Amino acid sequence: MLAASATSLPLFLALSGCREPAVLAGPPPLSADVRVLFTAVTDEQNLISLYKRTMASYSALAPALAPLLAEHDAHLAQLRARIIEPPGKTVPDRVTSKPPIPGTRAAAAALLRSAEQAASTTQLRRIAAAAPSLAQLYASIAASEATHVTALDRV
Amino acid sequence: MSGTRPQAQQAVQALQAALAAEHAAVYGYGVAGAMLSGADRATALTDWKLHQEARDTLQEMISMLGATPVAASAAYQLPFTVNNGRTARRLAAALEDGVTQAYLAVVAVTDQKLRTFGALSMLPAANRAAGWRGSTIAFPGMP
Repeated sequence: MLAASATSLPLFLALSGCREPAVLAGPPPLSADVRVLFTAVTDEQNLISLYKRTMASYSALAPALAPLLAEHDAHLAQLRARIIEPPGKTVPDRVTSKPPIPGTRAAAAALLRSAEQAASTTQLRRIAAAAPSLAQLYASIAASEATHVTALDRV
Repeated sequence: MSGTRPQAQQAVQALQAALAAEHAAVYGYGVAGAMLSGADRATALTDWKLHQEARDTLQEMISMLGATPVAASAAYQLPFTVNNGRTARRLAAALEDGVTQAYLAVVAVTDQKLRTFGALSMLPAANRAAGWRGSTIAFPGMP
């Protein structure tokens, strides 16, 4: 029969070379995948903010930009859905970059275009080290953003 | 190194699926192109050539991995009847969606270079799909 008493566990741990579980230690550090997801969420929020501020400044662009913005909202929702909020950490929910909206419609569209291009390139960089299903999500979002670059060429 | 063989098999499988999608696209653009005219026909011709190039690249990659590239089928079942410009454009979009989806599977393999290859191959396919469809989608390649 296998049985352990309160006194035999420390003895076993000492003999086996194992350490006692550190039940009072803090939560484990965030995994690399979660850290990258946090950054991806923030990047997406920044892009969404740029779209909203551009649409607020140039209402004539709204019909063309609204479908692209809706797709970014979907990206954000999917990225957030992949995160199981670690203890003591909350998923980022704030905009960290607010570049000024340019003074002309064409320049504003160009800024969005370059932001989409940069976002697509960044997603591609995330692919190599990510877990397979996350890599696929980043690749799909990168492809979506690449189509946005083309769509913005026509704005 | 016990994981190497399954990983190589996984890579070959994903590349074979991408090749099959490229074969289908080459065939399908032949059908679609016959129903298109003007600028659409020129675009279809360009896209058809791009898929031939992609097919050749994949065949080479698969051969280099020691496998025999899958052959094209003699004919393909079209997803719907293609009998005018509108349905031809729909078919072209569907072909590009299929190719994008196949490359997305390559993104899930272990080999990092192949992952990047798959992801980079998705971009033009998703763009062509959006062009034919006339609109973008949130998650190209995702089911």
